[in-house]
Amino acid sequence: MENAQVVTANMTQNKEQKSKSLWRHAFETLMKDKMAVAAIAIFIIYSIIALLTSVDIIAGDWAKEVGASYSPPSVENWFGTDIFGRSVVAKTLKGTQVAMSIGLFTATLSAIIGIILGSIAGYYGGKVDEIIVWFYTTFSSIPGIMLLVAITFILGKGLVAVYLALGLTSWVSLCRLIRGEVIRHKDREYVHAATAIGGGDFRKLFMHILPNVLHIVIINFSLQFQVAIKSEVILSYLGLGVQGRPSWGTMIDDAKLELARGVWWQLAAATFAMFVIVLSLNILGDALRDALDPKLKGK
Amino acid sequence: MSEKVLEVKNLKVEFNTDRGVATAVNGVNFDVYKGKTIGIVGESGSGKSVSALSIMRLIPNPPGRISGGEILFNGENLLNIPMEDMRRIRGNKIAMIFQEPMTSLNPVFTVGNQIEEVLELHQSHLSPKDRREKAVDMLRLVGIPSPEKRVTEYPHQMSGGMRQRVMIAMALSCEPDILIADEPTTALDVTIQAQILELMNKLQKELGMGIIMITHDLGVVAETCDDVAVMYCGQIVEHADVKTLFNHPQHPYTKGLIESIPSFDSTSGKSKEKLATIEGMVPSLFDLPEGCNFQDRCAYATEECRSKEPSLRPIASEHEVSCFNPLK
Amino acid sequence: MNIWVYVLRRLLYVIPILLGVCLIIFVLFNVVAGDPTHLLLGKHATAKQMAELRHELGLDRPWFFQYLDLVKSAFTFDFGRSWSTKQSITTMISEGALPSLTLTIPGFVLTTIFSVSLSLLVAFYRGSFFDRFSVFICVGLMSISSLAYILFGQWFFAYYLGWFEISGYDSEFPNWIPYVQLPVLIWIILSIGPDLRFFRTIMLDEVYQDYVRTARSKGLGEKVILFKHVLKNAMIPIITYVVIQIPFLILGALLIESFFGIPGLGGITLNAINSSDFPVIRAMTVLSAVAYIIFSVITDVLYTIVDPRVRLK
Repeated sequence: MENAQVVTANMTQNKEQKSKSLWRHAFETLMKDKMAVAAIAIFIIYSIIALLTSVDIIAGDWAKEVGASYSPPSVENWFGTDIFGRSVVAKTLKGTQVAMSIGLFTATLSAIIGIILGSIAGYYGGKVDEIIVWFYTTFSSIPGIMLLVAITFILGKGLVAVYLALGLTSWVSLCRLIRGEVIRHKDREYVHAATAIGGGDFRKLFMHILPNVLHIVIINFSLQFQVAIKSEVILSYLGLGVQGRPSWGTMIDDAKLELARGVWWQLAAATFAMFVIVLSLNILGDALRDALDPKLKGK
Repeated sequence: MSEKVLEVKNLKVEFNTDRGVATAVNGVNFDVYKGKTIGIVGESGSGKSVSALSIMRLIPNPPGRISGGEILFNGENLLNIPMEDMRRIRGNKIAMIFQEPMTSLNPVFTVGNQIEEVLELHQSHLSPKDRREKAVDMLRLVGIPSPEKRVTEYPHQMSGGMRQRVMIAMALSCEPDILIADEPTTALDVTIQAQILELMNKLQKELGMGIIMITHDLGVVAETCDDVAVMYCGQIVEHADVKTLFNHPQHPYTKGLIESIPSFDSTSGKSKEKLATIEGMVPSLFDLPEGCNFQDRCAYATEECRSKEPSLRPIASEHEVSCFNPLK
Repeated sequence: MNIWVYVLRRLLYVIPILLGVCLIIFVLFNVVAGDPTHLLLGKHATAKQMAELRHELGLDRPWFFQYLDLVKSAFTFDFGRSWSTKQSITTMISEGALPSLTLTIPGFVLTTIFSVSLSLLVAFYRGSFFDRFSVFICVGLMSISSLAYILFGQWFFAYYLGWFEISGYDSEFPNWIPYVQLPVLIWIILSIGPDLRFFRTIMLDEVYQDYVRTARSKGLGEKVILFKHVLKNAMIPIITYVVIQIPFLILGALLIESFFGIPGLGGITLNAINSSDFPVIRAMTVLSAVAYIIFSVITDVLYTIVDPRVRLK
């Protein structure tokens, strides 16, 4: 038993050193990639804007009339005004809050469901695994848009419904990946070593296996974040989006009546704001994958 | 001495990496003779595989680059000829087999197809039927049972040893002058290893090609090679015929390598008491010491070794060593 | 194992999935969503009216039978009638499928051809400026909302420049061609980003395999290696990726169809969503799930045929 403990201690140490150096290496790789650094900077700026708008430090007066209805871009109003004469810039800024919160909550919710179901299925195997695999295969057979519609019908309209609907429909791919990785890892020596010192299932799963699949979660998080931001537009178009406050989705949706009258600035402002953050998250996701996924190293 | 078919002169290969330029091969010289085998031995990262790939001009570029030297094949410098001409030599005059028989064959083509592809390329006068016949003949030659049947199988239907035989059949199908074998037995079981090496020896006698045997395994060297070059940090540190090298190693590194072979005393029935190891680690190519690259691991290192770089010099006929204090 | 035995086994596995799909749909629409009679009759309906309607819609029957009806509809494709148009849903679907396909098939085929050829080109020039540039363009294209493409495309190319029909449809061949040109173009722009990126990853995965080095050592040229050795290996994941998209073609394109007035299944679904027409939404969901399940079986079977390494156990 004493021997086993020594071996275990060594192994745990090795593993930790290895994973630490992997993270360190990943961080260094990421910092060397100028595009990734720029993407992180943009993400931080958007987050700050979102925070400041939620406490009304910026764009608190978005609902104020600042000019005539549909006035084109000018020196005072860079992106013109909407139908009620409200500043499009202020609305776009305020919309950042909705977009970032949708990204954050959706990605978090889908990560939680994906991690829990995926690791349980992968770790316990057998009947439990079969049931979970059956469940997500079933779930993924139904087109996402239909599930979204059904869930928002049930939950009603509003921001929380959007969070839940998007979160509840986007966990399957992560769940699959986690399940596969957990299966791959659970028979490795270091997990056996953890068994030897009497680690419980929970401890083994969360202390030993999950740190080794964390990179998948992070990569998936940045992906889900931007997918959710894009999905909000579709929900708005379907009339299932957020109500009573500006969002990029509703602004883009408004353009369907505006473009024919030559009012292009709402569409342009919201599309541009969305483009920058989604592009950044895409670039960041790619950079994270290059830095964290050892399989792709050297390509 | 038999006819010289390939001369590698002062070969230099560099790799661009995040940490700067690494010189993986730094001024390597060796010759290949008809019907003879030269072994290139070293640890991983010593530049032996890179040297071999350079002969075929298969160094991935970027990041790799052959930055100097000559590779003379029948008097022609392979590094200067157009790529088209190089392709006519690859697989035809100089062929290569690799370490990983499991992944080196294309999984979605039958082994017959893959052998016939070489013939189609370099022996275009053969009809498809002749090519099939020749493929079957080659499989028979490398000792694959019921080759008529096997020729239509996919690589995954064969064992590792069988696949390496297929690789050999493919490499030898145009009767090349030189066969480069890059760790051909490393991935195989010990019993299969011996079979493959035996097969290569036998085919060399029949076909008379020169073989370059890249390996980290001195056992393989002892079984197959006529000549041996020992590489360390991109340079050849000792070069001799196989008997001399094993019996009178002059470089401390060579001696260390030989002593670290597990051996078995047949009279006492016991293995040697303690296995010798070489202390320390191979220095990083980015951080080579001044003077001799081996100084930090060498028991005989002197002031001279730390300040001056040794170069390969003859100390006996057909025996060269790159050391200021060769062993006696 | 015989391929037919495999097909049969794979089909048997469809049953629990199909039952599960019906269960999820049933739970979402019949149990959790609550009583639809309010929705249909408005706030001022009397209890008697509501009870009558419930009976008419079969909502007063035990849950289990309602569930069985749903499962049955997955096999018979008899989905009842629409609440808003009172039409038979099966007729609506069979009428809507063709217009959808006139848009989605050309879009799908063209996108696949473009992106596979481009991915080969990109793999050939991997690491070059052209490669990095095309990846950046893909990511850029994917970072814009699909709604923005449709809105801008329709306004700029059809309305402002007048190059295409703004909206409308004609079911006679070839009269529908002018109506689908711009929608197909937008479809291609929407899907080329993710497709090309995916195919490029597959190609690059293959380009660095050992067998490519072997092919080079045999004396093969880069083009032969790419078009013969690499492409044949890459075809396995590409076929899987492509085939699994087919069921979504039948469903049409929700947004594009509704904007361009194409009377396809996408438009029908959208109208149903707008008017809370549960039977139609449910029917479309069941239909698409069944199509998806069938095509995932086809994909799996194709996989075993295309890839010699897959041995049936």
